[in-house]
Amino acid sequence: MSDVTMTPTSPSNGASNRTSPLQWVRVNLFSSVSNTIQTIVFTAITLGLLRALLGQAFSEEADWTSVSTNLRLLMIYNYPADQIIRIWVSAAVVLLAAGLSLGAWKVEPGYTVGRLGRHLVGLGLFSLVTRLLLPVHAPDTVRTWLIIIGVVSLVAGVVVQRGDPDGDRVMGFGTVLSGVALTFLAVLWLVPFGQYGLVDGVLVAESGTTVASSTKVPWTVLLIIVVASHRVGIILGRALGRSLRAALAAFWVVGPAFVIFVILRDPAFDWAHVWSTDIPIAAMFGLGGAAVLYFVAAPGKTEVARAVGAMLFAFALFNWVAAFFGWYPMLQKVRISFLIFAIVVLLVPAFAGDRSTRRRVAGGWVAAMVVFHWLLTAINTESTLVITAPPFLGGFVLTVGIAYYVMLASFPLGVLLSLARTSKLPIFRVMSTGYIEVIRGVPLITVLFFFSIMLPLFLPKGMGISDLAAVFAGYTVFSAAYMAENVRGGLQSVRRGQYEAADALGLTTVQRTSLIVLPQALRVSIPNLVGQAIAVFKETSLIAIVGGFDLLRIANSTIPNQPDFLGQKRPGLLFISLVYFVFAYSMSKSSQRLEARLKDAQAR
Amino acid sequence: MSIADQALTEDLASRDDMIVCTGVSKWFDDFQALKGVDVTVKDREVMVVLGPSGSGKSTLIRCINRLEVHQEGSIFVDGIELTNDTRNIERIRSEVGMVFQQFNLFPHLSVIDNVTLAPVWVRKKSKVEAEQKAIELLERVGIPEQAQKYPGQLSGGQQQRVAIARSLAMEPKIMLFDEPTSALDPEMIAEVLDVMKDLARGGMTMMVVTHEMGFAREVADRLVFMESGEVVEVGTPEHFFTNPREDRTKLFLSQIL
Repeated sequence: MSDVTMTPTSPSNGASNRTSPLQWVRVNLFSSVSNTIQTIVFTAITLGLLRALLGQAFSEEADWTSVSTNLRLLMIYNYPADQIIRIWVSAAVVLLAAGLSLGAWKVEPGYTVGRLGRHLVGLGLFSLVTRLLLPVHAPDTVRTWLIIIGVVSLVAGVVVQRGDPDGDRVMGFGTVLSGVALTFLAVLWLVPFGQYGLVDGVLVAESGTTVASSTKVPWTVLLIIVVASHRVGIILGRALGRSLRAALAAFWVVGPAFVIFVILRDPAFDWAHVWSTDIPIAAMFGLGGAAVLYFVAAPGKTEVARAVGAMLFAFALFNWVAAFFGWYPMLQKVRISFLIFAIVVLLVPAFAGDRSTRRRVAGGWVAAMVVFHWLLTAINTESTLVITAPPFLGGFVLTVGIAYYVMLASFPLGVLLSLARTSKLPIFRVMSTGYIEVIRGVPLITVLFFFSIMLPLFLPKGMGISDLAAVFAGYTVFSAAYMAENVRGGLQSVRRGQYEAADALGLTTVQRTSLIVLPQALRVSIPNLVGQAIAVFKETSLIAIVGGFDLLRIANSTIPNQPDFLGQKRPGLLFISLVYFVFAYSMSKSSQRLEARLKDAQAR
Repeated sequence: MSIADQALTEDLASRDDMIVCTGVSKWFDDFQALKGVDVTVKDREVMVVLGPSGSGKSTLIRCINRLEVHQEGSIFVDGIELTNDTRNIERIRSEVGMVFQQFNLFPHLSVIDNVTLAPVWVRKKSKVEAEQKAIELLERVGIPEQAQKYPGQLSGGQQQRVAIARSLAMEPKIMLFDEPTSALDPEMIAEVLDVMKDLARGGMTMMVVTHEMGFAREVADRLVFMESGEVVEVGTPEHFFTNPREDRTKLFLSQIL
């Protein structure tokens, strides 16, 4: 045995680099006595764990129909059944943008045919091992299917691997996407899971229809949309390049809000009020602001911009003080707009330029104001939906919605905090350090309670905050502190010479930070930022404690309280674990790819 | 003083002052890095600063574009005094180019973006105009074919030439070089020095900290020898290399030559 370790096993020349599976096993698993013992012990432990898990999943008491029946509940909670088309439209919009983005940015998975073969062989072996370890109570259909899947994937895997002996036939993303979509559709069309569904919170039998049959067609449409839009994205990306990517980036900032607040929430706009108040305010800020910005963004107007910005800033701050003491009434969104406008005017000299730059600045401002005011109006308008339980978002949609927007909002906040913490000005440094340390010293659940219960007491008179907004605000405040620390790590990795080179070229502090320091710092921070994003995604489960109906709450208390599934917790919890895992794992994988891609681009 | 020296001195005296340092002192905590330095650089003059390490020569030229802050004395650059006024600092920095020992290119930007960054954002030039100028400059430093690459893909000598092009893109009146060849492999030193010689012949006002004696002898109008934060001796190359006045200068030159 020990002789084997001495023989050179991987000759350096490429052709004979491939070892047969048997050789691989001998070299990696049984190369020496200790290696053999380790292999046997850890295999036994792994199999034992798998067996225990299967025992839980297929125990006598576990009723998986509790999950398959409640799929709709888990996905969208109490969303009105007659409005469900809104959910599908939302999904279609998001998937359309996702497909276009994947195409426009030419995301390539670098997945080879050889690797697909290996993965299929792995899946086949895993299915067969699982089949052997199944407890006695497992249904026969599961046994049969595991054998079918196992044998088919094994054979397919071996055949596929033959087709790519050198492991260098890369599959395009379109191919991979189509493959995944087809597999998903095949399962959906062939497996008739779910015997009935929930309608408006009441469990009803819908004879003849299954959960699968009612979602087959929409899912098929959605998957076709993804695959097709990926193709379109590639073609459009070639033709439009940067402008398409800019449009898509803008979509990912405001699109999901559009989906949540307009498609899903269906606000009942009071058009008289919209025309008399909302549109004039938006127009005033948008057009008036654009004119001012176009003027101060000219080269040489730095002094004017600073003076105007400072005055506006003082006025905006005064407005907030006035709001707090209730001195004079003013719409909240006017106050916010003033503050944003003041900050933009202060920042704009750093990015001043020729006429096309100024036009872009002015145009960007108008667009931002339109979106901003429209969004605020939509949020502040009552929903037309008749929902039995208060939250209009629930289940998986809530989890994803909250997680996405917390990440999106806490990221810029975190960047600002980290910059303040590394600033030369002591007032910024002390405030930001205080914020970060206080928040990091408090459990998330405390912050959420604070925001949902105590925040309304601190707000100015006449200003309310919905449960969902309170959770969002609290979670964002919490996550920003962690984001800030992650970005700070990146900031420290930027060498002093970079600051000096930027200074020596005459860049202002704002330019140096945004053009030189942050791009480098953020690149370094990607692994930590994605780690934080994954944490945000998983910890949305704490929303349950302050009243939200997210995946965890549904699996842990809603389903076990249904008369048909009293006490059925295990299948639901296993199922949502799987959902969380799939998403967290894909995020982690894509961050690794992003890192590799950025590294490639810089130092090839 | 030889006749040639005298002629040069008279010529220099008739030109405008570009950099005037008067009694410049600088402390790092307790350590005094500069002790009342007086140096004047004239228009279109190439001044080489010599001295052993730790003599304050890098600190001096870093004070000139305010990467370090001097505590006593005054520095005038092109008639503007360096004070805490940010506007003056930004103005001076955009007129003074600086080349660093470690290149300090921006690794996340391609070569062409490195060169166009400051003209676009500081000089407010249009992107197209800046790129044309950048290509011209890259041709001048001999690496137009590397425009789309990233700094990490270039050799040290190429990186330093990009750094020079990046500074020149701002059309500076003065160029400061802080040991531009010290971090380079020997075979790459010549290519960078060639670019610098070319610049000097073009009439650029330059202040160069270097250990390259050949360059100093060939290109410099005047040399400054510094030791422990003081200016020991100022003179023409001929004066320095044939008959230096001070013993400390003689000792340094005997060690280095």
